Amino acid sequence: MPSSPDPLFAGLGQAVRIGTNLLATLMVGGGLGWSIDTYVLPTEPWGLVAGLVLGLIAGIRNAYRTAQRWDHS
Amino acid sequence: MEDPLHPFELHTIVPLSLFGLDVSINKAVIMMFVVVGVVTLLLTRARSSGSLVPTKLQSVAELLVEFIRGMIHETMGPEGMRFFPLIATLFLFILFCNLLGLMPGSYTVTSQLVVTGAFALGVYTLSILVGFKIHGMKFLGILVPSGTPGWLLPLMIPIELISQLARPVSLSVRLFANMTAGHVILGVLFGLTISGGLLIGWLPFSFTVALYGLEVGIAFIQAYIFTILTCVYMGDAFHLH
Repeated sequence: MPSSPDPLFAGLGQAVRIGTNLLATLMVGGGLGWSIDTYVLPTEPWGLVAGLVLGLIAGIRNAYRTAQRWDHS
Repeated sequence: MEDPLHPFELHTIVPLSLFGLDVSINKAVIMMFVVVGVVTLLLTRARSSGSLVPTKLQSVAELLVEFIRGMIHETMGPEGMRFFPLIATLFLFILFCNLLGLMPGSYTVTSQLVVTGAFALGVYTLSILVGFKIHGMKFLGILVPSGTPGWLLPLMIPIELISQLARPVSLSVRLFANMTAGHVILGVLFGLTISGGLLIGWLPFSFTVALYGLEVGIAFIQAYIFTILTCVYMGDAFHLH
């Protein structure tokens, strides 16, 4: 392995990140919304809806940010 | 055919209990000991010659150190070298767990969500602690992206909070899912080979061979991703925007 990561290797690394990131933000957003519904406020089902939407926004924002970094490297 | 998830089940070999906690020894625990032993043995052997003209093992070890150093410098800057032992240990442990787990009859420790989850949570908590230690309460500014207008704050803070909390989740799920999925596919294809017999069995068997090569690559890439993301999160804690 070279001292600074090989471009293909680093590129693959960055690409693989985006997919799981989308999934993880959706899971966390939905989970947070659902737990607010169930344990904190009687807002069912709107907490889950809002959480999922926010999670989706966060995931796409992260993907966008990751893609932006590609220009510089 | 056998249940494809069967090889991932763990059975207690030596029952042990420490202060009421179940610390029984099973296949995964033995495998972790083996990985630690192999890494220690290889690195001490690489070090022992210590000659100016490096032996084969020594030059591999030197390349490895340079590789990890490059990762840290790129993401955290020179001050990140304080964390070199942690990052190197993490990389080597995950890499050898992935690689040794590919040997038939062994066990892939990283295919357990408990293991990857513990690593991801530990690393993430450490990066948060480092951030608060360096920046104090100003570290909460990580939840506010630079250049956000005030009226957007009620929307941006939950979004940033979610993407922060998603970091350990995606870190652990990625490694665990990749290792589990790869081994399940290999297992299913090999099962097809055996049930296919000589007439048709060569077809899934050739796929097994090709996928095995791919899995070796994935073992490297996943170890690299886990480590580089650890570096990136630590770097975020060092440099606030």
